Amino acid sequence: MSIAPLALQDLGKRYGRLAVLRAIDLQVASGEIVALLGANGCGKTTLLSIAAGLLAPSSGTRAYGPTRVVELDRAARMRLAFVAHSTQLYARLSALENLELLASLRGDAPGREGLAQLLERVGLSHAADRAAGTFSRGMQQRLAIARALIGAPELLLLDEPFTALDHAGRAILTQVLLAERARGAAILLSSHDLDAVAQCCDRAVLLADGRIAAQTQRERGESDDAFAPRIRALGLGRAHAHAEAHDREPAP
Amino acid sequence: MTTSSTPSATGGATRWLPPVLLLGAAVALPYSVQRIFLHTAIEKKMGTVQKIFYFHVPLAWIMMALAITCGIAAAVQLRNRSRKAEALSIAAGELVLVTGLGVLLTGPIWGHATWGRAWTWDARQVSTGLLWLVFAAFVLLRRYGAAGSERLAAALAVFGAVDVPIIYYAVKIWKTTHPTTDVVGTLPPQMWAALWPALGALMALTLALLLVRLGQERDAAALDDAWIAFDEGGPEPRAEKGAG
Amino acid sequence: MSVPADAALGGLVLAPRRGRAHATNRAVVFRQAWLLARNDLRQELRDLELVLTAAFFTLVVLVMFALAFAALPAAAQVLAVPGMLWLAVAFVGALTLTRIFDREREADTLRAVLTWPVERVAIYFGKLAVSLLVVVGCGALLMPALALLFPTAGVFFERPLEAIALLVLGCVAYCATGTLFAAGLATASGKNVLLSVILYPLTSPALIFALVSTRALLEGHPQFSTYLGQLAAVDLVVLVLASWLFEPVLVGSQRPHGPSPRARRERARVQAERP
Repeated sequence: MSIAPLALQDLGKRYGRLAVLRAIDLQVASGEIVALLGANGCGKTTLLSIAAGLLAPSSGTRAYGPTRVVELDRAARMRLAFVAHSTQLYARLSALENLELLASLRGDAPGREGLAQLLERVGLSHAADRAAGTFSRGMQQRLAIARALIGAPELLLLDEPFTALDHAGRAILTQVLLAERARGAAILLSSHDLDAVAQCCDRAVLLADGRIAAQTQRERGESDDAFAPRIRALGLGRAHAHAEAHDREPAP
Repeated sequence: MTTSSTPSATGGATRWLPPVLLLGAAVALPYSVQRIFLHTAIEKKMGTVQKIFYFHVPLAWIMMALAITCGIAAAVQLRNRSRKAEALSIAAGELVLVTGLGVLLTGPIWGHATWGRAWTWDARQVSTGLLWLVFAAFVLLRRYGAAGSERLAAALAVFGAVDVPIIYYAVKIWKTTHPTTDVVGTLPPQMWAALWPALGALMALTLALLLVRLGQERDAAALDDAWIAFDEGGPEPRAEKGAG
Repeated sequence: MSVPADAALGGLVLAPRRGRAHATNRAVVFRQAWLLARNDLRQELRDLELVLTAAFFTLVVLVMFALAFAALPAAAQVLAVPGMLWLAVAFVGALTLTRIFDREREADTLRAVLTWPVERVAIYFGKLAVSLLVVVGCGALLMPALALLFPTAGVFFERPLEAIALLVLGCVAYCATGTLFAAGLATASGKNVLLSVILYPLTSPALIFALVSTRALLEGHPQFSTYLGQLAAVDLVVLVLASWLFEPVLVGSQRPHGPSPRARRERARVQAERP
C-alpha cells in the first residue's frame, strides 16, 4: 500500500454549532486525480482550505505523506500547492514576476527559463511581461495554475479550476492535470463541470451536507466515454442526495 | 431522548462559590464602610473625601489584576485554542470595564480633594483611561467583530495586559503630581487595617461576578457540546429528534 | 499506483514538530522577509501610490500646523512640536498600514502567501519593513520642516544622529504594533475602519515614550539618552510580542480542539442509548 500524499481521517469542521464537514475520510494517492462534486455550500471549499492549511479542522486528522501533521509548517507547505477560487495574483506585477515571487520564496524552483516554460504550458508565453491586472479572468486562472506548478508539488489542491476557462483553456488544464498525474502528483479538485471532470479524474466524490454522500471510481483502463455517464449520474444524483439531506434538517 | 443533565456538565465550584462569595461581600462591605468612616481617623490635609481612597486603590489593584488575567488567558487561548482560557479572558475583559469605570469615577473624586482638580492629565490617569479604552475595544471586537476576530481580540488583550506594567513604570519616570505609589507603603497601621476589609469585600464581589460570567460561558459551551454530541451521536440523528 | 512517487515519498518523513518556532531557520525568515518586502516595493515603484499619498498627507498636515501654530512662543514650542511630530506620524502610519493591507485584500493575495512555504513571521517582518520605510520617510520630511517652522526645533538639525535615532525608534514601536493588527483585520472579513479604533489606544504608550524623548531632546535634557533607551526597550517588547502573536492571529492555532472530553463522554453516552 502506498503512502498517500493526502489522507484526511474523520475530519470535521464546525463554526459554533453549524457543521460544515462531518466525518470526512478521504485519501488522495500519488498519480491520482480526485474530483469533489456537490452543490454550492456543501463544504468543498472548506475541505480544500483545511487540506491547504488555511483552516484548522475541528476534529479528525490530516496526514501529508507518512506522518500526521497538526500544524502545517513550512516543510509541509513546500509539498503542496493550492489554487483558490479567487486567483490571488498581484495585479501590478507581470505574469512572470508573479511566478518569480513564489519561485524565489521557495528557493528550490527553476530559474527564468523554467518559469517561461511553465507559462508556455498554460499558453501565456505571449503575455509574460504584461501586468496580471490587465488579464482576463480566464488568463488569470491559467496564470494561477502555472504558479501552482512551481517546484513540482506532490499535492495539488484546486478549487473550481475550470471556472472562467474557455474551451482552449479547459483543454490546456486537462492536459496539465494529466501530465502532473503522470509525474506522480496527487490532485484534489472541486468542480461543477462534469464533462471536464470525466475527462481527467480517476475518482469522483460527492459531498452533500458536509458528508461524503457517494463516490465513483474509474475502472482500470476505462475510457472517458464509459466513465462520463457514471460521473454524470453521480453529479446529477446530487440533487437527489441534497433533497434527502434537506429532509433530515432539524427545525431551527 | 432522556435529558438527564449530567452534573459534570455544569461545573462544581462555579455553582456554589459565587453565592458564598456574594454573601461574604454582603457582610464585608458594610463592615468595611463602618471601619472606614467610624473607626479610622480623618486624614488631616484631605479631609473626609480621602475616604474614597479605600475604594479607589483596591479597585485599581483589582482592575490591574483582571487586565493581566485577561491578557494571560488570551495568550493561552491563542496558543492552545483553549476554550476555558477564552471564557476566562472574556469574563475578565468585561470586568475590567466594570472595575475600570469604578476606578475612573473614584479617582477624580479623590484627585479633586488632593490636587484641587478632578482630572489633571496625570500620566497614570491617562494611562488608566487608555487601558480602559483598550479593553473597551476588546469587548467591542468580541461582540461585533467578523468571524475570526476573536483571535484579533485576544491579541488586543495581550497587548493591553503588557501595557499595564508600562503604565505602572511610566508614573515613576515622569515624576508627575500623582501621589507616589509609596502612599500605600507608608500608611499608618490604622489605615492599612481599614484597607483590607474593603479590598476583601471588593475582591469577593469581583470574583463572584467573574465566576458567574465564567459559569455562563461554561454553560454555553456545555449546551454547544450537548447539541454537537446529539448531532453526531448516530447515523440518523435528526430523524430521531422528530420522534422525541 | 505509480511507483516512482512512492519512492520519492520515502525520503520525506515529517518529524512531529512541537518546538517548531525554535527550530525555525533564521536565515530563511530574513531571506523571505526581504523577498516579500522587495515584492511590495516593486509593486510600489509601478505607481508610487503609497509614497505619494503619504507624502502629500504629510505636507497637508504640515501646512495645517504652520497655519495653526504660526505665532507660537518659544516656550510653548517645546511642548507643541513633539505632539505635532508624533500625531502626524500616527496619522500617516494608520493611513499607510491600511493601504498596504488593502492592496493585499484586492485580490486576496495574503491568503495565497499563507499557503506558500513561507514562514509566517517573515510576512510580518516584510510588511513591517515596508510600512517603516514609508513612515520613517514621512518623518524625515516632518522633522526638518518642523525645524524650519519652529526655531526651537532647530535641535533636529544640530543633533541629527539623535533625531534620526529617535524617529526610527518611535516609528518602530508604532509600526510593529500596527502591522500585527492591520494584518489581523485584513484577514478577518471586512471592517477595516476598526484599525484606528484599535491602533491609537494600543500604541499610545509607545507614542507617549516618543513624546517624552522628543521633548527631552528639544530641552537638551540630560536624561535624553535614558529616555531613548527606554523607547528602545518598548520597541523590543512590542516586536517580540507582535512577532509571537502574528501566526496565531493570522491563521489560528491548527491544533484541533475537537470535542472536549466532556463532549466525547456525552457523545458516547448518546450513542450507547441508541439501539
